[in-house]
Amino acid sequence: MIQTPIDSGGRQTSVVWYRNIRVLRAVTQVVAVIAVVGLVWWLLNNLVNNLNRQNINTDFGFLNRPTQFQIPYDEGFNPRSSVWAMVLVGVKNTFLAGIFGIILASLLGLIVGISRLSSNWLVARIAAVYVETLRNIPPLVVIIFFGFALFTFGPFPVITEADQYSFFGSEHNWLILSNTVWGVPSLIAEEGAGLLWVGVVVGLVAAGLVARWRTRVFDRTGRPHHRLSFALGTFLVVAFVGYLIAGDAYSMSWPALAASGRRIGGGLRLNWGFISVTVALGLYTASHIAEIIRGSILAVPKGQSEAANAIALSAFQRYRFVVLPQALRVAVPPVINQYLNLLKNTSLGVAVAYAEITNLTLTSIGNGRPAPQSIVVLMGVYLAFSLTISFMLNVYNRRIQLVEH
Amino acid sequence: MSDRPFMEPGLEEPILVIDEGPREQLPPAKWVRRHLFNNWYNTLITVLLVLALGYAAYRFALFLFVNGRWSPVRQNLTLFMVGRFPRDELWRIVTQVIVWSGTLGLAWGAAIAGARYRATLAGVPYAEDPLLAKVRRYWGLLGLLILILLLTESFGPLILALVAVGAGAVMQSVGARVPGHNAGFMWAAVGVLGVGGYQIVSGFHGTGWLWMGAPLAWGAVQLMRRIEWRSFRRRRIATIGSTVGVFGLAYAAYTILDLDGVGWDKWEGLHLNLIVATLAIVLAFPLGLLLALARRSTFPALRVMATSYIELIRGVPLISLLLMAQFFIGFFLSTTTPLSTLTRAIAAFTLFTSAYIAEIVRGGLQSVPRGQLEAGQSVGLSPVGVTRLIVLPQALRAVIPAMVGQFIALFKDTSLLSIISVAEILDVRSLVHAQAAFRGFGIAETLVFVMLAFWAFSFTMSRESQRLERRLGVGER
Repeated sequence: MIQTPIDSGGRQTSVVWYRNIRVLRAVTQVVAVIAVVGLVWWLLNNLVNNLNRQNINTDFGFLNRPTQFQIPYDEGFNPRSSVWAMVLVGVKNTFLAGIFGIILASLLGLIVGISRLSSNWLVARIAAVYVETLRNIPPLVVIIFFGFALFTFGPFPVITEADQYSFFGSEHNWLILSNTVWGVPSLIAEEGAGLLWVGVVVGLVAAGLVARWRTRVFDRTGRPHHRLSFALGTFLVVAFVGYLIAGDAYSMSWPALAASGRRIGGGLRLNWGFISVTVALGLYTASHIAEIIRGSILAVPKGQSEAANAIALSAFQRYRFVVLPQALRVAVPPVINQYLNLLKNTSLGVAVAYAEITNLTLTSIGNGRPAPQSIVVLMGVYLAFSLTISFMLNVYNRRIQLVEH
Repeated sequence: MSDRPFMEPGLEEPILVIDEGPREQLPPAKWVRRHLFNNWYNTLITVLLVLALGYAAYRFALFLFVNGRWSPVRQNLTLFMVGRFPRDELWRIVTQVIVWSGTLGLAWGAAIAGARYRATLAGVPYAEDPLLAKVRRYWGLLGLLILILLLTESFGPLILALVAVGAGAVMQSVGARVPGHNAGFMWAAVGVLGVGGYQIVSGFHGTGWLWMGAPLAWGAVQLMRRIEWRSFRRRRIATIGSTVGVFGLAYAAYTILDLDGVGWDKWEGLHLNLIVATLAIVLAFPLGLLLALARRSTFPALRVMATSYIELIRGVPLISLLLMAQFFIGFFLSTTTPLSTLTRAIAAFTLFTSAYIAEIVRGGLQSVPRGQLEAGQSVGLSPVGVTRLIVLPQALRAVIPAMVGQFIALFKDTSLLSIISVAEILDVRSLVHAQAAFRGFGIAETLVFVMLAFWAFSFTMSRESQRLERRLGVGER
């Protein structure tokens, strides 16, 4: 691109220095860097000056001091726990809401997305209405709807008069519903639990090896591999042996109203903030995932399914072996993007007092912890989540591209 | 799917319709058989769904007409629309609605004129959509409008709606009648009307002249381009001179007029949601454009800085930025007067949106084929010239649908203002339920109303963006 000008005598002349592209490039970049660094330096300088003037500490020592407040629905946490412990509780709750929201959103999104292409007009219409409704409402409003219209001011009774359900003539409660906490049965680890998990891990490894062996046999001989059935069988056998050796690894824990009637003891206790955030975000994100799934299925060339028809695959086989594998490859990156959005949207739990990281940070600032450092920690947590997920996405994308070669 | 005689009898119909080809017209009975009862499991699903839908419709109708306690909505409609905006100054918002309706009409008309002009140049026939198609396209918004009008008890809103729609229609037909080669002036007029409508509420004072000056200067530049100048240099001088002159005139006018208005700290309700979304996208666009260009540039330093800014902002939720703005954006500046909550929030929205716009524009830049760039270089354009004259016009055209999508997301995100206690439409609910009569009363009903308001705007805009996408043929070239 860079040509040395030639004068009328055919000799090469040098470019004037201020028009030399190399000089221009270097100067532009240096100027830009100086401008940006200067701006950032000026802002930070102001920040430190202003904080000093108002006698606000700029160190992170507050992380080791007690929080001096209680986290609702968290018995393991007391006001003497440090701010670090609070951050960890917040991260755990953010992660829990994220994981369960993602599971709900994926299942529902897949179902709705496929339903939108159903040959049954009614099914397709209902799926379309679902998508067009949920997609166009702010997730915050959906969360608040669940939190307040369904829980706080909703049809469920207060905890002291909670509905207790027991099924199949069992003497235990299977379900306790109130407007703040729901109780469901859960498993409690006994002594043998460690041994059982060893069995599970060994089973998984064995299953992986068996699957590889079957794949090799298939590659070599072309005989049907049945690797899924083989692997599953191996896993079940090993895990069952582990279960037998471990004895009673887990026991059931049943929810029951405590003597005071103000709380539920035993079982798994789901608080209203968690249910609102998880279900609302699950429903909202499902509408986006459904659109992605639909788009990816439509993106598979028509010739592919015609070819599948031509070799007389059944409708199910056509989807399982021809259309879906190609559609999912297109769908994975945007779907993971939606997962990331869902994880970031759990910060809306602030509105329903769910003890996730943003809410706890806000409470802690309200209790006199320095705001700038608290928010830096908060952003750091989210950045760590986001960068990890985008890193994994990049790795996946690279693998996909290799496959296509 | 009907033209497949080679299919074996008994081979099942596909669960999914792969290609949504042109609709075939079937007699109703045949249509029902084909689309609802074509095999045993579809019949089963249809029957079950009809039963479930019937029950849901019954419960919903019960909620709407019998059990619903709609008085909190009905008695607080003005609160939901404009919040606690000073009631003596309400005429400002009324005027603003009419002016902006006219502005939208003019923009629409100008778009039609421009499209017709381009179609004529290209020698393609141009057909305008019939009125019915337009009404059908905007049924979400129209439905919300009609619902609100049905809920009101006075005739004021009805008159306002009629006048506003009338103004829009008149301006649209004016815009559409302007010859296409003058469409540039129409866009300048749209800008002047838009800024003017904004300043009817905010007042014609302070730095308002900068905003008003921009579209006026654009108009002046258009005018200078029309005139035949004897030399290139004279034209350049005239262009610069007229721009400076227009800004100077605007400054003088605003200094002399100095009409006070109602500052944005007093704006609330749905009005605020719409304005914050619009302001944020307008303010974030230049920043996002620069970021995108920097990220795509061949300068490593610029690329690294732009990329880290974009990834940093996109990696954190909007709430954390809003909190940052609330708690310590003031510390970053050396101002002595504290910024208002809304100003800080708008700053956060702008920073947030600019990163997303940068990614959208980057997508647009990538969609411009390399050959375009090379063609530009080969005719001797400078790198800046290639970007400004060849790459950007094509890239920006391609990103219009995605920008509308970003605007929708932003509009939905304005609900987050409620978390920092700015009384946008979602937070107006807390004002309503603080009234003695409605404490803990009609919670679901007010929420449904707020949902409907958000839904009507977002749905209409998303339909519009899909239509734009088809019309611009994005992804087809």
